[in-house]
Amino acid sequence: MLLAAIHMENLTKSYDGKIIALNRLNLDIPQGGIFGFLGPNGAGKTTTVKLLTGLLKPTEGVCTVFDMSPQEKPCDVHRICGVMTETARMYGQMTGRQNLQFFAQTAGMDGPESDQRADELLKSLDLWDARDRKLSEYSTGMTQRLSLARSLVHRPGVLFLDEPTSGLDPESAQTVNAMILSLARNTGVTVFLCTHQLRYAQDLCDGYGILEKGNLLAAGDLPTLCKNIGCRIRAEFRLAPGQSPEGLQKAGEWWRTEVRDEDEMPGLVRKLIDSGHDLYEARLVKPTLEDVYFEYTERREVSK
Amino acid sequence: MKLLTLPEQAVVKKDFGEIWSTKMVRNTMILVPVIMAVFLPILYLVLICFVPSNQINGADQMMKLLPKEAAGFNAQQSMFYLMTNMICPMFFLMIPLMSSSVSAACSFVGEKERSTIETLLLTPLSVKSIFKAKVLGCILLSAITTAISFVAFAIVISVGDIILQMPFFLNWNWLILVLLLAPAITVFGVVFMVLVSGRSKSYMESIQTSGYIVLPLILLFVGQFTGLFQLSALLLLFAAAVVVVADFLLWLFASRLFTPEKLLK
Repeated sequence: MLLAAIHMENLTKSYDGKIIALNRLNLDIPQGGIFGFLGPNGAGKTTTVKLLTGLLKPTEGVCTVFDMSPQEKPCDVHRICGVMTETARMYGQMTGRQNLQFFAQTAGMDGPESDQRADELLKSLDLWDARDRKLSEYSTGMTQRLSLARSLVHRPGVLFLDEPTSGLDPESAQTVNAMILSLARNTGVTVFLCTHQLRYAQDLCDGYGILEKGNLLAAGDLPTLCKNIGCRIRAEFRLAPGQSPEGLQKAGEWWRTEVRDEDEMPGLVRKLIDSGHDLYEARLVKPTLEDVYFEYTERREVSK
Repeated sequence: MKLLTLPEQAVVKKDFGEIWSTKMVRNTMILVPVIMAVFLPILYLVLICFVPSNQINGADQMMKLLPKEAAGFNAQQSMFYLMTNMICPMFFLMIPLMSSSVSAACSFVGEKERSTIETLLLTPLSVKSIFKAKVLGCILLSAITTAISFVAFAIVISVGDIILQMPFFLNWNWLILVLLLAPAITVFGVVFMVLVSGRSKSYMESIQTSGYIVLPLILLFVGQFTGLFQLSALLLLFAAAVVVVADFLLWLFASRLFTPEKLLK
């Protein structure tokens, strides 16, 4: 059995003893791939990252990264983890290159090795031309990319990314996402991605955890999440105006029904045509991560 | 065994760069020693040389404070002796204290203010290593500043001694002050600032707080002019011992407070 890259057991954190930021979180994240940790602002995502990287101590429960406790062995955990959070900034008075050289040196690299690693990352993250500019002169997108470079400087096995595309324009966000994807696919790094941008998450992640107000609502890959909450694929049809087929519900210009899987689609199309309907268009609509996410959060509200 | 590992040396180097690039800190680290160790002694020497001593207010009263070793001095020599041995030593407590607290404020509170401390805490360096590198870096910088200031001061005072035909100024008081009390005060300034850094939200706020520790030092030297006591080598040795003990206790206390949770509050 593969060792879980990240393990959390009853992980609980309260800052003041009254409000619980994270409530009995149980989660195992396998090695490799990208795990999307989803939730609105204040859900407890950053708290989780801080607990997993040893910046905070849990009120209850345990967590490990590659079987090491971040609270007991923070240095060992930091040696295999790259962390990029919104609050972890770099040195504005130093150039992009100096920043990366410095962080490479803190990871134990000597002068020439740190120079080489900094240059390598600056080139791969398209910051080479801005290498000698002070960080304070960088745009938000460039700063985010440099932060990503900083988190990769010591070649980590696990990457914690907390809202890596926050504040970026769509183009920069796409570039950063492409880099994350390529990292996970090409180097086998396990990525723990905290985000509330569900569309980007769906493009990137293999598995998800939905967090709300410190509680983990669900975890798994998209088909599992859909199955557990009852989100099904929808067959949708556009018919000639004035026609109303039996057993289908109207949604705008379209008529739709839920199906178990896509194998049901040919039968439905045949039935509509055989019953004399004029079929203009037919489509299968798979539930998106957004649909699943809102289904879970709404259901929680209802159950409350 | 190396005092600092390569990663720790990188932190010290980075801190030096940060301190140097912060205009206010750089100005304080240069201007305060220049004024106290060079400008004021020169000004005083010029005044003594060119203004007749009977025109200086309270000169007679000040003469009464002279110790036995300065009994045979004339008016100009006495005034210069008083300046060298009763006023200037105070500067050499203020220079290490100011330079250490200002550099520590930039290194500790500044890092917190700029939100870079979290990034530093996420490196493979242990919290202890970061604490050690930062404290030693500030101590080293302050020691260099104090040492350069003292060399410049010694040159100015030696020139004064030659002009006024007085013996060389260095005595036991000065030796204890420069070799024991000033280093102890330097460590005190840094460690005190680490303690303050936990509560200070901004670099300026921490500098203001450090003002409280300058006050007792000023009182110690001003007290001499009231005639209540005179600072002897023994008294300075005792003061140095007290500060060293305080340094040790504060170091232990500060290193325990230097935890990620407290720093990121």
